[in-house]
Amino acid sequence: MTAQSIPAELLLSAIREAGVQDVVLVPDTHQRTVLDLLMDDDEIRTVHCSTEDEAIAVSAGLIIGGRRPMMQIQHAGLYASVNNLRGVGLDGQFPIVMLIGLLGRDPELTPEEDGSSMVRLCRPLLETLDIPSHLLDGPDDLHHIAEAFDEAAERHGPVALLVGTTTS
Amino acid sequence: MTDNTQVQRMSLDAALDVLARRRGEQVVVGTMTANGVWREKSPHDLNLACIGFMGGASTLALGVALSQPERDVWVIDGDGSLMMQLGSLGTIAGAAPRNLLHIVIHNGVYETSGSQPLPAQQQVDFARMAEGAGYAQTASFGDAEEFDAAIDELLAADGPTLVQLYTRPADRFYSARPTPPGTTPALARMWPPVAEALK
Repeated sequence: MTAQSIPAELLLSAIREAGVQDVVLVPDTHQRTVLDLLMDDDEIRTVHCSTEDEAIAVSAGLIIGGRRPMMQIQHAGLYASVNNLRGVGLDGQFPIVMLIGLLGRDPELTPEEDGSSMVRLCRPLLETLDIPSHLLDGPDDLHHIAEAFDEAAERHGPVALLVGTTTS
Repeated sequence: MTDNTQVQRMSLDAALDVLARRRGEQVVVGTMTANGVWREKSPHDLNLACIGFMGGASTLALGVALSQPERDVWVIDGDGSLMMQLGSLGTIAGAAPRNLLHIVIHNGVYETSGSQPLPAQQQVDFARMAEGAGYAQTASFGDAEEFDAAIDELLAADGPTLVQLYTRPADRFYSARPTPPGTTPALARMWPPVAEALK
């Protein structure tokens, strides 16, 4: 398999079409071109967090208040935030959609074949937590973004979208 | 440097009574020991709690505050809790919600686990940390009457506001009870009615 880079404009369009109002983020090197566009976007608000733990709780609070947030983080942040993901996302049953960059992934390999533990263990961790994940390995996969919001609402819980290679 | 060994300390009850007397239609997020006391003093449909994700109270409140800019949001945080996600001070200051009151109950100990000392127990000062992070207002009180006299002015001004309340450790311990299989967790029961009320 070969993961293709997703142009930032296309990714942002898909985020917008999914009705996202707030992007709650800890910067992801992998998605820096999208972050550049988000910083200049007048419609989608960005909430900058110090840690991914906080991003999960902020997202939950926004949902309580009637907003439609999406988290944007890096895989390392997923590992760092497991207790909040469990306590807020799973126990709280919050429909949080997370866009997670697989920084450093070899685009020629599946994530599970990757030499980096941060890439390789990402989906197994999500499976352990019973959190569905969908790989965004190119522009053709962007339909997963809007679908993830429906899935999260139906499941009453988080859904992860894994950005397979660096956005362009 | 602040010397916490010399500060006056009020009871948790007296501290929360001051807030309960001002309770209107604010969303209030509680956590740890103070949450149970608060819910007794101010039962309300707009109470939320941070249970099972220690340290998350302030950022849960931040999310609500950002989504409901016309409604006041209070968080009754613990010192040990805030210590666990101290970066939230920067996150809140950066987001700058004018409607957020961040109360920190500073008793210097991890009360629920048996009152072990907080790191830097004798000098840690969350009001000074919040000021450094960029909160709009910060204040500290160890006397309930002084807190009572000052709180209205603090509430009237734009936040984010952090108020550090020096309290004596309560004489009670939390005991975790087993959760029967199939139980819906407390947070999942708690937030949908609040979300409905905020529509």
